Amino acid sequence: MIFDFTFLPGFWRFLLGGVLVTLWLSLASIGVGLMVGLAVGILRTYGGRAMDAVLSVYVDTMRSIPLLVILVWLFFAMPLVTGRSLTPLAAGIIGLGLHLGGFVAEVVRAGLASVRAGQMRAALALGMSVSQAIRVVILPQALIRMMPALGSLLVITIKDSAIASVIAAPELLYKSQVVIGKTYRPVETFTIALVVYFLLSWPVARGVDYLYRRVAHLGAS
Amino acid sequence: MTAPTDPQPILRVTEVRKHYGPVQALDGVSLDVSRGEVVCLIGPSGSGKSTLLRTLNALEPIDGGQVVFDGIDVHARQTDLRRVRQRMGMVFQNFELFPHLSVLGNVVVGPRQILKRPLEEAEHQARELLGKVGLADKARMRPAELSGGQQQRVAIARALAMRPDMMLFDEPTSALDPETIGEVLSVMKRLADEGMTMVVVTHEMTFAARVADRVAVFDRGRIIEVGPPQQIFEAATAARTRDFLRHLDWDGASDLMS
Amino acid sequence: MTFDWSVIVQNWPLLLQGAGVTIALALVTMVIAVPGGLLLTLMRGSPRAPVRGLATAFVEFFRSTPLMLQVYWVFYVLPMLTDVQVDAFAAGLTALACNVSAFNSETFRSGINSIRPGQRQAALALGMTGLQAMRLIILPQAVHRVLPALANTWVSLFKDTSLVSIIAVSELSYVGLQLRSQTFRVLEVLTAMAVLYWLMGYPQAKIADWIHRTCKVTE
Repeated sequence: MIFDFTFLPGFWRFLLGGVLVTLWLSLASIGVGLMVGLAVGILRTYGGRAMDAVLSVYVDTMRSIPLLVILVWLFFAMPLVTGRSLTPLAAGIIGLGLHLGGFVAEVVRAGLASVRAGQMRAALALGMSVSQAIRVVILPQALIRMMPALGSLLVITIKDSAIASVIAAPELLYKSQVVIGKTYRPVETFTIALVVYFLLSWPVARGVDYLYRRVAHLGAS
Repeated sequence: MTAPTDPQPILRVTEVRKHYGPVQALDGVSLDVSRGEVVCLIGPSGSGKSTLLRTLNALEPIDGGQVVFDGIDVHARQTDLRRVRQRMGMVFQNFELFPHLSVLGNVVVGPRQILKRPLEEAEHQARELLGKVGLADKARMRPAELSGGQQQRVAIARALAMRPDMMLFDEPTSALDPETIGEVLSVMKRLADEGMTMVVVTHEMTFAARVADRVAVFDRGRIIEVGPPQQIFEAATAARTRDFLRHLDWDGASDLMS
Repeated sequence: MTFDWSVIVQNWPLLLQGAGVTIALALVTMVIAVPGGLLLTLMRGSPRAPVRGLATAFVEFFRSTPLMLQVYWVFYVLPMLTDVQVDAFAAGLTALACNVSAFNSETFRSGINSIRPGQRQAALALGMTGLQAMRLIILPQAVHRVLPALANTWVSLFKDTSLVSIIAVSELSYVGLQLRSQTFRVLEVLTAMAVLYWLMGYPQAKIADWIHRTCKVTE
């Protein structure tokens, strides 16, 4: 078994472009997922029974359908319904974001529930509105407690972004396949991709751990 | 019982009822509180005194009756509850300071976020209030770094920062170590001396005897007796009141009354 | 655009077969990955540094890289490195089992760490061996922490089996994607596939929630 990396000088710019797309795809999906998840988690907690029932269907659907199926459906099937096609990257961001949103919503719900009921009472007794109490008192405490869970969701999203290669989003895994198609060096190319993904996600996991240890005391009530 | 009737009490509670499932937590409670008056609510655990306190600012909804604060029907649908709550300060058994904010932040958050006062004014007032409760030097600390008694004094300052017309205390010393109870009670006494209207749920009979204008005794969701402390502690008419006081080893308050 | 759902009816047995493979793949993976995770956990507690290091590296590697890439890697790279020819199913199963073992190892480790050290000391003081203390005292107590996390892992694993479709293991996703390109009834086939996953996954998510609630009560 001989490793042959001589093809690399010709393709490293191409692969680097894939890394940048992976980063952009992950960040955009995380943005979408956090916004959707925060809204859904808050509405499920404070929005009444009917709202909770409706949104639980969304959350549990995201928990039960594979991301690959969601992406493939958004990219290939949905345009047949709406008459408008999405770019692979847009379908990737929407699919990853909605999928992540379901999981963020669960984390947000658990985080909000973990703040003692007395904190809400104290905020209301001061004369705050419910939305003010959530924003000023409950959410800041809950967010700190949610950090480890949210952090692992970030790592999962970076890794899951590779699944967007099935709809030809030009991210790292897809570009690796293109390179392999031209060079037929799967061992070297996939190994490079593995190392890069490791370097992207491992520091995020450790960084969140570190951050959490520094601020954990602020969330204790 | 011949309680003097104030024609315009700041708070009028009429026949308030409240049940949790089959349990009748409040079984027709009526009580008037005059401006500047200190009323202590005493009685065994689960007798409904804390529940009543929470219905006063509608943290608990009621099933029947009426709570009127300064002419406003607190539980009426059209009432601006936030406005009512802003005018009633509340102090909780477990302090409920906001752990993600500094001591100063806790006292500033109400005036800043709710009353939209300028930061400088709010901080100035907060420092004054912290000085008043004897914690001027703790402004930058986190609630978790303070003792229980210190935290409860911050909670009092936080409530006062809204410049309330009335203060509600829900067992403010029950979660405290014995050695820090005194500092909280003395802050409360000073507040009473300054003429603050106060409703205090407490197990501190000495405080009730010394500071209260009137004491209301709760039992099983009802007020069984109301009157000045001398009457309640020395000449209780209800047998249950005497039972309750005996359980607390209360052997007469004569030495305190004199 | 007209839709023709008869394509689903005609190919129903094929889709069901795919669903069967999906279920089997998830089951076999978990059957391997529970002991696999335990083994990794024990190795990470080993007094020998190389053993510890190897297990830790294995876990960190499989937790920090995309499963889809792991599947490719096992399928293309492992045969070239080791000269062992593996079929697609075996390669997919290997990647899934390694991945889930790594996650299970984390689950077991945090479950065990949640038990006070005094419990182990008390067991040792009674004269138990380290393994006995683990088996008789620590693990039974850690179950309440471990079961909910395992249930979550199961729900993820069930969905993750779809990723081995990229190496042509004929589970539900692969069958669906093949049918799509053979019949050109893209919307019908992909929707049917999503609905099938939903029908299988939704109850599993609910059962996982139930396990979470049950374990919280008894804790």
